[in-house]
Amino acid sequence: MFSTIYIEEEVLEIQRVRNLLDRFSQVPQVICDRYGEVFNRKSQNFRLQKMAPALILAKKYGNKVLAAPSGYGYNDSKSYYFSHMLNCVYDCRYCFLQGMYSSANYVLFVNYEDFEKSITEEIEKNNGGGVYYSGYDCDSLALEPVSNFCSHFLPVFRRYPDAELEIRTKSTQVRCLLDIEVVSNCVIAMSFTTSEAAVQWEQKVPSIEKRLEALHKLQLAGWKVAIRFEPLILGAEGLAPYEALFAKIFSKLDGQKLHSVSSGLFRMPVDFHKRIVKLYPDEELFARPTQTTDGMIALKSTEENSHLIAIEKLLLNYVSSEQYYRCG
Amino acid sequence: MIKSVKHSMPVNIVVANGLEAKALVKMLELERNHASAEFVEYSNPSKLRLLVSGIGKEAVAAAVTYLGEQQVSDDGEIRAWLNIGIAGHRDAPLGSAWLGNKITDQSSGASAYPPQLIEGFEVGSVVTVDEPENSYPLDSAYEMEASAFYAEATKYSTAELVQIFKVISDNLENPISGIDIRSVPSLIAAQAPQLLILIERMSAIAQQHNSNQRLPSYFSEVCSEIHLTVNQKLQFRRLCQRYKASGLEEELGRADLKASDARALIQQLAERIDRISEA
Repeated sequence: MFSTIYIEEEVLEIQRVRNLLDRFSQVPQVICDRYGEVFNRKSQNFRLQKMAPALILAKKYGNKVLAAPSGYGYNDSKSYYFSHMLNCVYDCRYCFLQGMYSSANYVLFVNYEDFEKSITEEIEKNNGGGVYYSGYDCDSLALEPVSNFCSHFLPVFRRYPDAELEIRTKSTQVRCLLDIEVVSNCVIAMSFTTSEAAVQWEQKVPSIEKRLEALHKLQLAGWKVAIRFEPLILGAEGLAPYEALFAKIFSKLDGQKLHSVSSGLFRMPVDFHKRIVKLYPDEELFARPTQTTDGMIALKSTEENSHLIAIEKLLLNYVSSEQYYRCG
Repeated sequence: MIKSVKHSMPVNIVVANGLEAKALVKMLELERNHASAEFVEYSNPSKLRLLVSGIGKEAVAAAVTYLGEQQVSDDGEIRAWLNIGIAGHRDAPLGSAWLGNKITDQSSGASAYPPQLIEGFEVGSVVTVDEPENSYPLDSAYEMEASAFYAEATKYSTAELVQIFKVISDNLENPISGIDIRSVPSLIAAQAPQLLILIERMSAIAQQHNSNQRLPSYFSEVCSEIHLTVNQKLQFRRLCQRYKASGLEEELGRADLKASDARALIQQLAERIDRISEA
């Protein structure tokens, strides 16, 4: 599962770490001072490291809960994100993480109690409210059997029913949720692209059918479930792949019961895009014409807006406009 | 032993002394190359190079620089780098060997962590010392080149393709003062099965990387025919990549794209691929 486990000396005696090291005793373990010695060094290559990623167990210092970027989120409440982990077990070619880090190793910050303290402080500052996103720099569920993220953080949010936690994922690891009482202020938000995009650009991601099955089980169990159509990448096939995707999803899930549905176009900071192009000069997606606005790069298309409106129109056959938002 | 290998092996091996080289020359069927007055150098037709650096950090850094500067290319190709040598450890059996997953420079205290992409090898830490170490205080292989080798080689390649392989030649029971240096070639030779696999795998990763980065031949053809400024070359390079990634490499050779002026050529290429891609 991991080529190596690197452990900051400072976290070596944390019980959560001891348990992991015992469990993965067959994996070579290397002690380091700080995770920055191993992670995101110059001369590292994200694409090569994806062949055999390592796990890094570290302590997160500094701000643990950050204001969410504008346009990220579904309502006007104050919103925040936190990352107990950096990088993702999946390998999606469109993902901005490839340009954000030079290393594909997974960093797991194991000082959950410090995260908990920061989160609860922020919640209390917001009179018990606010929206908290997990899964911005990682997939929060995909490594659940290793991280026990949900086991730790869901009880925290259960104590603050007016605060909302969104867990963004492409994972089908929902056993940890199905085994516990529903946390009514937790939303499981699953990302989807079309079947064609998934085949072309998503490596190691569970199939659309398996993800839908997982969401279906969650919905039946009473969990709040959301759908994220990101990134929308329009191809020569036009709208047909989206028609097929929506039909598939809404034949399995109850659209009216969805917490929210959103869409977002392919966008990323110019610098990230430049780095990704260097890693994948052979990738067709990055050979497409692009346009830059305010430091963000997007695929250039004269019909982008009309396509987006057409996709939204299709989507609104299944969900209400109150449930839908466009991610900026 | 490596006779069956016909394909290119973009791998540089650096050893500290001739005795370490001796077994590798035989194992890898290398021939002496008299190009350098400074270093003893071997190579084979598959592009595999072996350099004898001399002992110590300065010597190995100079050797890596010598080889790296020779191999700097315009096409973004990289090579794998492997440091092979003997080392001491307090209690590891003589002849045991591992890939370094943590390389510590004893004098500075700084550590580097070569990413481990290749499975199936023993791994362990390596400490680079300035003087031979007799007491081996840590559970590490003690030697005299690895930290400088790693620091220098990662200037010419990506860290995943820079590795250190150490064979234990001395320990507390068999101290360094008692080493029979004539045994060094056989210690290295005994690692032949492992080393051949390691070199093959590092070579395969380097080749895959280079293949992903390879530019259409049109790029070098045009560069040799017309003058491009540094900026134009970068733009032209990216356009060639875009044509290749879009499956349009053949379009590059079309007669109507043979402008003699770099600016006009870049403009034509850009307009054409944007038009095709947006269609």
